[in-house]
Amino acid sequence: MEPVKEDHCEEESHKYMSLALHQAKLALEALEVPVGCVILEDGKVIASGRNRTNETRNATRHAEMEAVDQLVGEWRKNGLSPSQIAEKFSKCVLYVTCEPCIMCASALSFLGIKEVYYGCANDKFGGCGSILSLHLGNSQPSDIPEEAQRGKGYKCKGGIMADEAVSLFKCFYEQGNPSAPKPHRPVVQRERT
Amino acid sequence: MDSDAWKIIHIPDKPTCPPEHQPTWKVYASVIKPKFANTIVRQLCKIAPLEDLRHVKRVRKKILQDHGETQLTVILCLAPEHNDHLNDLPLDVQKLVDPYELSPFITEVCKYAAVSKEEWEEQCKIWPTSFHPPTYNIDGISGFSEDDTQSIFKFMRLVIDLAVSEHKPIVNAAVIVDPSVRRIIASETDQVYPSSTPRDMTTTETSPFNETGDDRVTNASSQIFLNGIIEKLNGSLSDVACLNPWQWCLQPHETEKCSQWHPLRHASIVAIESSSARDRYLFPNSAESVSPDHVLPSDADIPAKKQKTSSHSPNVQKNCSEEAPRDPPMERPYLCTGYDIFLLWEPCTMCAMALVHQRIKRIFYAFPNPTAGGLGSVHRLQGEKSLNHHYAVFRVLLPGDAHNALNHGLKHAVS
Ligand SMILES: [Zn+2]
Ligand SMILES: [Zn+2]
Repeated sequence: MEPVKEDHCEEESHKYMSLALHQAKLALEALEVPVGCVILEDGKVIASGRNRTNETRNATRHAEMEAVDQLVGEWRKNGLSPSQIAEKFSKCVLYVTCEPCIMCASALSFLGIKEVYYGCANDKFGGCGSILSLHLGNSQPSDIPEEAQRGKGYKCKGGIMADEAVSLFKCFYEQGNPSAPKPHRPVVQRERT
Repeated sequence: MDSDAWKIIHIPDKPTCPPEHQPTWKVYASVIKPKFANTIVRQLCKIAPLEDLRHVKRVRKKILQDHGETQLTVILCLAPEHNDHLNDLPLDVQKLVDPYELSPFITEVCKYAAVSKEEWEEQCKIWPTSFHPPTYNIDGISGFSEDDTQSIFKFMRLVIDLAVSEHKPIVNAAVIVDPSVRRIIASETDQVYPSSTPRDMTTTETSPFNETGDDRVTNASSQIFLNGIIEKLNGSLSDVACLNPWQWCLQPHETEKCSQWHPLRHASIVAIESSSARDRYLFPNSAESVSPDHVLPSDADIPAKKQKTSSHSPNVQKNCSEEAPRDPPMERPYLCTGYDIFLLWEPCTMCAMALVHQRIKRIFYAFPNPTAGGLGSVHRLQGEKSLNHHYAVFRVLLPGDAHNALNHGLKHAVS
């Protein structure tokens, strides 16, 4: 690993993570848990997403799912076949502000995504190393020859602009989660700037 | 055993292990004089705490057969796994040997806490351990009433009915039920392939208001009913999304039916979406319900704490509804709190985690998922302590024939 290349990578990954963080801020403004992501193909952002669990009352509507649905919908509309869509995902790179949860980490393996870069770790639900390591693919032994039959893994790296991601979470919990089932502590109203 | 009967079995947090195969640790132990017991134990807790063996009792009390005397044996510390020498005793512990007249020997203790009372009884034959039943108390772990059992079978039949449709390969199906009133909240099938018929969202938003499930299935004779599924199980299982989550891309492209398919629309995911659509439809104005499951501070695990602290109360299942205002005729659900989900196949890890996020209370499935199952077959989310919500998992065993057909079918699917 030549240092020059590393620097270049770091600069690039900061650029993309900043876009994901922007999505997370949009979530925060909408009183959602601030997680955001972008998906790239050939260095170009082709989708973005942010958490929408409160708005939808569907706790599975994580940023990653939002961005993936955007792509699947678009590609389907353009008449792409399942195998063409799989081909597309195999070239996609995801930047997400927080380690994908077990659900999203599995989903990314099913889709066959190429690489995942995340900000802070997810100590409670993380599926890319914290609780389970689904990015390594299916560890079950298998006699099936075809690659598609086996669980796919993807390259995964965390810790990119983690402090920024964490400070957004702090912001969220400080302002009080307006959607918690029962107020467990007073909701602090804060001036939004 | 009656293979012609339906049966419900609990799938515990950890795999049950036959006592003779229980993994063990080697430890140094020594018989001690009762007068030294307190002092020794106090010192050992300081110099050699048994951090990972909280379930193991430090002192074993034994009444000696011949003279009825009590013999105390204490665990000194962990011993190296592949070394039977006594000279590896840590220095701090070594220092206690002479003053307290210890005679260290190596013995074994069970590595993991028991998951059932039966396992615990077996463990104690090796060395005494303590047993704590699950900290959450969910109905059914200690058995179902006849009424509940019948209701569970009925919903499972409905699931089978949904999964089997005449001209298509079998898929997975999911039915979400509010068990307190036995009302169906959502019922959906996989929508991964273009060939699986997409369900109209307008029907899913209105249909759940039916009071209970289908009486049709109750009236059908069990055998006739099961014939349909046996035939399907002998065919291809490749369209069952949770069983083959990586294979969606191998499907042929059928443009004309292509509007709805999606690689991640497994039955559970679709059913969760449908239940949240119902929630928004029935309670359009209250936006305040969802406590996010994302990460970080302990603030996020309120429901889990709530469950824990109230687990002493006999009717825990009521706890969420009690907190809701009493006037409205239909209580505002908090996600799927208190709800059951019935599935034909054990959900994959993605779906199993989605059900944690959505706060499902109990999961019932008929067939295990050896390729990607998240509830015991590959992963076991009900045993992941870090998660902020825990559901109870049950397998509903269908009468013998359906099982044999499945085992046969599974061989086809995975080889
Ligand atoms: Zn997620
Ligand atoms: Zn699934």
